Amino acid sequence: MRVTITALVLVGTMLLSGCSATLLPYAREMGDMALLRTMGVDAGEGDYQVEVTVSTGKRAYGLQGESQPSLVLSAQRESLSAACLAMQGLSDSYVFYGYVDQLLLGEELTQRSVWPVLDYFAQDAQLGLGVQLWAVRGSTASQAVQAGGESGVESRLSTLQTDSEMGAAGASRTAGEVFSDLLERGSAYLPALRVQETEQEGQTALLEAGYAVLKDGVLAGYLEGESAKGLELLVNQAPSDVLEVPLPQGRVVVRVTSSALVCIPRLENGQLTAVDLNCRVTAEVAEVEGELTQEDLEQVKQAVDDRQQRRLTQALERLQSWGADCVGLGQRLAMADPAQGEKLLEQWPEVFSSLPVQASVETSLTRLLFLESS
Amino acid sequence: MATFQPKQPDTGPHPRREPRYDRPLTLENLEAVFQGCADFMKRQVYLHGDRERVVTVCYLLGMTRNERLSDYILRPLAQDEALSRVPMDEVFKRLRYGALYNLAAQVRDTLDQVADDLVAGSCVLFFPGKSQVLTFPVVTEEKRGVSEPSNEPALKGVRESFVESIRTNTSMVRRHLKATQLKMEEQIVGRQSRTQVDVIYLDGIADPDTVEQVKRRLRDIDIDGVEAAGNIEEYLTDHLNTPFPMMPYTQRPDRFCQGLLEGRVGVMADGLPFAWLLPGTIDQFFKTGQDRAFHWMTASALNLIRWFCALVTVLVPGLYIALVTFHPEAIPVKLALSIAAAKQEVPFSTVFEVLIMLLAFEVLQEAGLRLPSPIGATVSILGGLVVGNAAVEAHIVSPAVLIAVAIAGVAGYTMPSQDFAAALRLWRFLLAIAASVGGLFGLAAGCAALIYHLAGLETFGVPYLAPFTNGAGQPRGHPSLLRLPLPRMKWRDGAKNTKNRRNQR
Repeated sequence: MRVTITALVLVGTMLLSGCSATLLPYAREMGDMALLRTMGVDAGEGDYQVEVTVSTGKRAYGLQGESQPSLVLSAQRESLSAACLAMQGLSDSYVFYGYVDQLLLGEELTQRSVWPVLDYFAQDAQLGLGVQLWAVRGSTASQAVQAGGESGVESRLSTLQTDSEMGAAGASRTAGEVFSDLLERGSAYLPALRVQETEQEGQTALLEAGYAVLKDGVLAGYLEGESAKGLELLVNQAPSDVLEVPLPQGRVVVRVTSSALVCIPRLENGQLTAVDLNCRVTAEVAEVEGELTQEDLEQVKQAVDDRQQRRLTQALERLQSWGADCVGLGQRLAMADPAQGEKLLEQWPEVFSSLPVQASVETSLTRLLFLESS
Repeated sequence: MATFQPKQPDTGPHPRREPRYDRPLTLENLEAVFQGCADFMKRQVYLHGDRERVVTVCYLLGMTRNERLSDYILRPLAQDEALSRVPMDEVFKRLRYGALYNLAAQVRDTLDQVADDLVAGSCVLFFPGKSQVLTFPVVTEEKRGVSEPSNEPALKGVRESFVESIRTNTSMVRRHLKATQLKMEEQIVGRQSRTQVDVIYLDGIADPDTVEQVKRRLRDIDIDGVEAAGNIEEYLTDHLNTPFPMMPYTQRPDRFCQGLLEGRVGVMADGLPFAWLLPGTIDQFFKTGQDRAFHWMTASALNLIRWFCALVTVLVPGLYIALVTFHPEAIPVKLALSIAAAKQEVPFSTVFEVLIMLLAFEVLQEAGLRLPSPIGATVSILGGLVVGNAAVEAHIVSPAVLIAVAIAGVAGYTMPSQDFAAALRLWRFLLAIAASVGGLFGLAAGCAALIYHLAGLETFGVPYLAPFTNGAGQPRGHPSLLRLPLPRMKWRDGAKNTKNRRNQR
């Protein structure tokens, strides 16, 4: 008993001495915190300046959850750390970064380099590489963060992420995925957003704008429209897509449900000479004007094949022109031929831009309820 | 413990006198022993009306059954002709060997024995000029009837529970276990209470060392009386500085017998309506009498839920403090936002809120227990619902704290053993305080201290955590967390040196 009491007294004495402040975590009340959800990072005016804009998203107050406008703070400093620290002085609450899970990068910053931002997120205790990442096309991240108005941009970005997970929107990327792609492949892609004015005056909204492709941490270009769809096919993350095929008796609407891409290297004397991309697309016939014959069906399949092949080719041409294999074709080729894998990877950065790529698509149609019984 | 006690002059060990009364066995000395006892009765009887042949009958009023004393002791003495014809020495023999219609007759020659018999409900026959007496047990059978076990209700099991009479209890055990290997060894504990305490075990199954240890420790108990469970528990246990119960007990004869069949040693005291099973290990406090009655899958699931609830009740308040105050990033976003929203109008810190709510919960529970049941229920409703709701609406506590404390409290009620639940409640406070000092680090340190504490406990040479260690030196009969189908439970679960370990073909 004496030993226990002595031990307790010693522990109490140690805690009261002030040493505990350095040993133990610091206590803060959640009611006094501003829980940040979204962070936007832009290049500042000087060479080393960065501008950080943060938003809490929609906030509730009290038991009834009365709605309060989102808190948006912005600071420009010479480093991300300094800018983040400066936020504490701008708010009457303790600014807590532990809930930031949406990161927007301004175009100017992506043109300069994204490395410092990703490094900062990788090393910070409260932040982390699990945040969802978007590039803002044609404007600043600050504008994008403020696009949500009073309700904040958080809910819009959450919806985009959820839609992506459900296959209703384009691929989403976390900072960790982009960071590791940049480290392993030297290039990465991330979804892009565009700030666009809405019909209501003074209101802006965030819209999908394809994908930004980074090479060595710097923006190489954007893939939009058909080439963006091609990139989704290349990474096997094709969202639900609807294609219209005109036929003599009317149009047929086909819904693409899934796709799978296989890479096959063509080697001659141990040298990589070409790559075959075989894409299998599964689609279902959604709408038909009239009845479909077997010939019509062949026509539809051919149209879908052609369309997807064009998409693949367009995306690949753009990526080859930038020399950015952000979809990891090299690694997939190495896995397809493990015996030559290491050799292929060695050659890959040099040959990727000039390598002939043969893309072929094979579509299988399902849900053929409209097919003529004959 | 001396820290908290006033210092007493050391007058040496309390003398336990043996024999208690060292005077010769005479009627006068017996009267002197019971001087001032209003219930001590004495009556002289002429054998078949012969005034030359007088015996004296002594008994304690209320301890004997009047009809039995009158019909089977006094009537034969007064009416049996043979008693008046034979010599006086022969009378003693005849009375001892059947002239009186009683199940037992004891020859006693010391004052101690006679005093004990009287107190136990016997009547005493004194013969003039003879140094020996006869005692006949005519004990009254007035006692509480066997009822349903209130603390361990049975949905699918026997509906009898132990009562305050030890012999009624042993008879219930004997009816369940008819084997002659069932041994019941009696000891008297308490200088003043002279309480019968039985050590009950199955010879050939129970560990003889444990039986011997229990008997030795009972012999060593030198106290005034056995009026509460603690009078036995705290003298038999190895560890007093722990809130965790070391001796599982049960009100149910079927569960008690199951324990004996597993190789445990039972202890039963007169006046206490339950019995202990030794040695006690932590898994015993999670078992119920229904475990073997339900389907094995259901029983296993319920057992796992009880273990989970034990973790919930002991950890949730501390975890809430640690997460909300020190590590908010570990809380899911939407939950964090609602906690933050509700917390904004509350003036107190989270630590203070949780500790004060835990204290309020204990106060309400204690108030409900101490009052008669209708008022107790009112207090619970008033305290739990009205005051709780009002406190939340007045922004004195946040609803999340109320929910966390309530979850911890309700989870504690799933413990079959109230003693174990009380220990968890105590540790819940300690872990909450540890979490308020160091967050998850403090909570983890508190948990480590708890495990260290539990790992240091032992009963009769068996580690308290025996289900999770091999410290007992014997493999367990079957898993402790799951209840296997009974045909697969072929080995007794006795913790240590259980003889004859196989319990079925």
